[in-house]
Amino acid sequence: MSFGSPYFTLPDFTYHKPKTLREALELLEKYGDEAKILAGGVGLIAFMKERLVSPSHVIDIKGIPELKKLEYRKGEGLVIGATVTFSELESYQVIREKYRALYQAVKLASDSIIRNRATLVGNICEAIPWVDGPPPLIAYGAEVEIKSLDKVRRVPVAEFIKGPVEIDLEPGEIVTSIHIPDVPSGARSGFVKFNVGSEFALVNLAAYLSLNEEKKDVRLVYGAISPKPVRALEAEKILSSEGDMRTLIISAAVKASEELEVISDVLASEDFRRHLIKILTMNLLTELVEGG
Amino acid sequence: MEKLTFKYIGKPIPPYDGFYKVTGTAEYTFDIELPGMLYAKLVTSTVPHARIKKIDFSKALQIPGVVKVVTGKDFPYRVGMYAGDRDLLAIDKVRWVGHPVAAVIAESLEAAEKAIDLVDVEYEELPAVFDPLEALKPDAPLIHEKMEEYRHSPAFNPIPGTNIANKFTLVRGDVEKGFREADVIIEEQFYIPHVSHCYMEVQNVVAHYHLDGTVEIWTSWQNVAPIRQIMALSLGIPHNKIIVRIPYVGGGFGGKAGLGWEALVTILSKEAGYRPVKLVLSRKEQFTVAAVREGFYGFAKAGFRKDGKFIAYDVKFILDAGAYADYTVNVGRAVGYSADGCYEIPNIRVESLTVYTNKIPTTALRGFGYPESHWVLEQIMDRAAKKIGIDPVEIRRINLVKPGISETCTGERLREDAGNPEKVLQTLLEEIEWNTPPEKLREPWKIRSKGLALFVKGPAQPPNAAASAILKFNEDASVDLLIATGNFGQGTITALIQIVAEEFGLPLEKVRVDYIKDTHKSAYTWQTVGSRGLFTDGIAILKAIEDAKRQIFRVASEVLRCPEDHLELVDGEVRVKGKPWMKIPLQDIVMGYTYPNGNSIGGPVIGRGVFMSTHTTYLDPETGQGNPTIFHTFGGAAVEVEIDLLTGEIKVLKVVQALDLGKVINPLLVKQQMNGGSLMGLSIGLYEQIKFDERGWVVNPNFTNYYLIRIKDIPKEVVRKTIETPQSDGPYGARGIGELTMIGIAPAIANAVYRATGVKINQLPMNPENLWKALKEQRPDLFDEALKKFIESKKLAEVRA
Amino acid sequence: MVRKISLTVNGYRKTVEVKDNELLIDVLRDKLKIKGVKAACWRGECGLCTVLLNGEPVKSCLVLAVEVDGSEIVTVEGLSRDGELTPIQKAFIEHGALQCGFCTPAFVLASHQLLLENPNPTEEEIKEKLSGILCRCGTYYEIIEAIKSASKFYQKK
Repeated sequence: MSFGSPYFTLPDFTYHKPKTLREALELLEKYGDEAKILAGGVGLIAFMKERLVSPSHVIDIKGIPELKKLEYRKGEGLVIGATVTFSELESYQVIREKYRALYQAVKLASDSIIRNRATLVGNICEAIPWVDGPPPLIAYGAEVEIKSLDKVRRVPVAEFIKGPVEIDLEPGEIVTSIHIPDVPSGARSGFVKFNVGSEFALVNLAAYLSLNEEKKDVRLVYGAISPKPVRALEAEKILSSEGDMRTLIISAAVKASEELEVISDVLASEDFRRHLIKILTMNLLTELVEGG
Repeated sequence: MEKLTFKYIGKPIPPYDGFYKVTGTAEYTFDIELPGMLYAKLVTSTVPHARIKKIDFSKALQIPGVVKVVTGKDFPYRVGMYAGDRDLLAIDKVRWVGHPVAAVIAESLEAAEKAIDLVDVEYEELPAVFDPLEALKPDAPLIHEKMEEYRHSPAFNPIPGTNIANKFTLVRGDVEKGFREADVIIEEQFYIPHVSHCYMEVQNVVAHYHLDGTVEIWTSWQNVAPIRQIMALSLGIPHNKIIVRIPYVGGGFGGKAGLGWEALVTILSKEAGYRPVKLVLSRKEQFTVAAVREGFYGFAKAGFRKDGKFIAYDVKFILDAGAYADYTVNVGRAVGYSADGCYEIPNIRVESLTVYTNKIPTTALRGFGYPESHWVLEQIMDRAAKKIGIDPVEIRRINLVKPGISETCTGERLREDAGNPEKVLQTLLEEIEWNTPPEKLREPWKIRSKGLALFVKGPAQPPNAAASAILKFNEDASVDLLIATGNFGQGTITALIQIVAEEFGLPLEKVRVDYIKDTHKSAYTWQTVGSRGLFTDGIAILKAIEDAKRQIFRVASEVLRCPEDHLELVDGEVRVKGKPWMKIPLQDIVMGYTYPNGNSIGGPVIGRGVFMSTHTTYLDPETGQGNPTIFHTFGGAAVEVEIDLLTGEIKVLKVVQALDLGKVINPLLVKQQMNGGSLMGLSIGLYEQIKFDERGWVVNPNFTNYYLIRIKDIPKEVVRKTIETPQSDGPYGARGIGELTMIGIAPAIANAVYRATGVKINQLPMNPENLWKALKEQRPDLFDEALKKFIESKKLAEVRA
Repeated sequence: MVRKISLTVNGYRKTVEVKDNELLIDVLRDKLKIKGVKAACWRGECGLCTVLLNGEPVKSCLVLAVEVDGSEIVTVEGLSRDGELTPIQKAFIEHGALQCGFCTPAFVLASHQLLLENPNPTEEEIKEKLSGILCRCGTYYEIIEAIKSASKFYQKK
């Protein structure tokens, strides 16, 4: 996947701006895979400029009030509507306090001007391997809510993203929101990203630790290293075993750097990525352990 | 010039055109639209090397709004400035992925963009070669079959039948004898990848070919004169029928010098029925179609005596010029004759080959061969120092040239007032606190270090590169200064205005330079490149001022009945020296003086002046001996870096730049150049690289994957120091600065890393992955130790049950 | 499809016919002749096409013109409407926070908006807000100086 376009103009399409979700779904039903959803536009418009997609119909969902929802309920968790921007997430106090990994990923994503426009739902629907939105969502076990005229379904973000620019979305369907479960008190999460000399991450990592109860719950999710974000299950297992977390970090980090499939691309080689996985894992886990 | 105090010279005058830039009213070629203007879009090659069998554009013509499709058949011209090797639309053969094969002209950009997708080109592929070392082999595919037919400048030496666009050789002393006497020999290979200029305003041109044979051009380019010259020579249009206009320019950095798209767009305008046509490159096309900086190999062998004396240097440079080498032949020449940097090396042999490959064409970039030669040489100095066991500063002191005594590797005796390299070095040491060890960090897997590099540069230009200036007075004694000096961010025009205001005692706002440079209206200057503008055009302006003053004093002397040499110009008045009450305001003279009875003398005052170098020469084709340049600016850069041994990240904390500028005309502009050049140097040193796949496609043609330094990445501090050793023939003693500030940064960083770790980074960019690899290969112990320290300090030691 | 949109640009109400696939940057530059909006990458990386959309900096190369129907746009041309340069414009000139000038409109606009929202920003806050805009000439230090020196005028407001 290499970006850059000789074109300045966009292909032809018809623009629709529905006022209700129903109206949007009807349009989607009518136009099927000829239609694309427009929210922040930073992905779709760039893709259209590069002729990676050429929809005949573009459906702008920014006029639909219910998709602007950003709400936290204790015990239920966080709901992020499809048109909520990164900037809105950044200034939402609950995220800063309770969902540190998401907050850090949001703050580090692209730049502040892009964040005024870009949406988190758009970020996962783009499914570009190097972006920062998906790893924390997967670490929290977040789900996307998908609606069509005749059904509603929920899919874990981890399954929703199938590969580079490939998502589990049928014609006629729209992602309306992301649902992140509430985090138990005492749970910790964090996000790191290595992108020296690059706009995109060479490796990013979201970690989630819940150590309160009898059973440890540990999740490590790596982005940018493979076609889609992946969990390091073996490393998680090591961290979940008995003993002082501090004594498990190294072997978990080493395991993570070995167990995953890692690609070489324009940003970094496989070897360097494996190395970074190890360093970032040690760094982030230490930080999380120390932080509590 | 005997004045001791100045009103404007040496003062931090803000850029004269700032108002237009902060209000969005500065007009760039990008903003120009003409009535009836059409839009052009290029169709580019998808294969690296092939014969064109057929171009079918019938479908493209059916798109509503498409006026015409033009191919190489309609543009059978070979164009260029130095190598003269370029077909702007491929003739018969394509030579890189991105080579334009056709141009679509349409009523709208949208129609043109739809149409380019519908042009079918059938290729018969030829074997391609992507590495210059491969391209030099006898059985390599030949990229230019008819090199002997190309019109090239006499300074160059192409070798037809090979892929060598220019072979430069320099021999001085006896290098073999030198090596026999050497105690320490250093042998290293260096590499620099292709980088893009990344000026913010993309290349764009409007051309209007009129039915009467007159051509009007608007273009985002550094210089008007070479465009006209290239077009006149290749298209056969008389010079005075070509009007080239350059308004504000959104950056150049050498990438908008020499050959542009003007000749092509001119023919497109003609083919489209004499309507104006605009061509704008996209950013992707800037990375894949427009010329970029060449890739570079340096193979160096250096011999030193154990007392530190540099006695033999044998170096071979190989430039990956890509498919066309128009300006890069001169880069190959400049990297060759600058091989010795600031040092006296009695025995030296240089071979510099500019080599064609099937990659994107290349051209000059800020520094022009000097960043390349210094990347090699300045690292050699530190390697040798370590091997001998002396300080990097000491080895430089021992070998530093002495103006007035030393000769450069081209055999030029450095003039006594060429500058003070010793003082440059001393200043660097003080500002970087060379002898104070860097702080030890609380994160022991990170280390800090300091490194430095010296540099010298002069304009790489032909010996006869002239400049001229015209200044004319208006009724109120304000001045219009008619110059063609390029204005693409360097600030030179502001400095030139200061000179005129100073000399006539006028307020700055009474001196006007039009923002449009125009072949018809501006006085000729060869080019604004190579940091020459202030020097060459400044001298021409001072001569024009002298000329105008002569005319003014002649009239005033008659009116005041006083000899001319008793007169002076103060605050816009001609006064009799010592008798300030005997005076005439300038506005009473500059249009001619009228006596009370109506008799008039003199007339409108117009000053003219020229710069012509009298001492520069072509270099001997066998030995490279001669005088290549009009001045040498000496300088140095020092950095303090923080190296993360675990990730390979290098953070530059502090930069020091010290330059001997002869005279600082405007410290604010000098500050901009020092800060800006440091950041460009850091960006190219740490991040930038155009990456190709195995088929010659550029895989990172955008600012996401080709990273430019952003405001969040800047070092905490850039310390700027200027030294003023005036050069007697420079304007107020000044020398050029523009490119200089970039040259020392990369080698200073590499030297800092080497000093602290012993790790040699012989290739750019010094990004985390490259440093990590080098560390693992050269100092695995250091890497392991860092990891151990990390684990210790984080208390992560594994507890085994 | 061609449709009419209404928007306020630099304080003036405009009605303009646009095609659905037209970008905001092109409508501003080509139809409304607002040439202070520049571009260098056309894909959201350089930030030179930054405009204020309802008071928020956005990159206009990634916005459709039809999306801004009914909105308020401010470009650099809208800053000095009362016949005087804004303090940030003056500071950019005085501190030499411009070289070739091509990125200057975007930096001036984003800096102005930053100071309106946060009249006394730290260096980190300045960097955070401006890292989406590129300057190849490297005037970043001068831009930070200009913002710091102009900040006193915004605090008084």
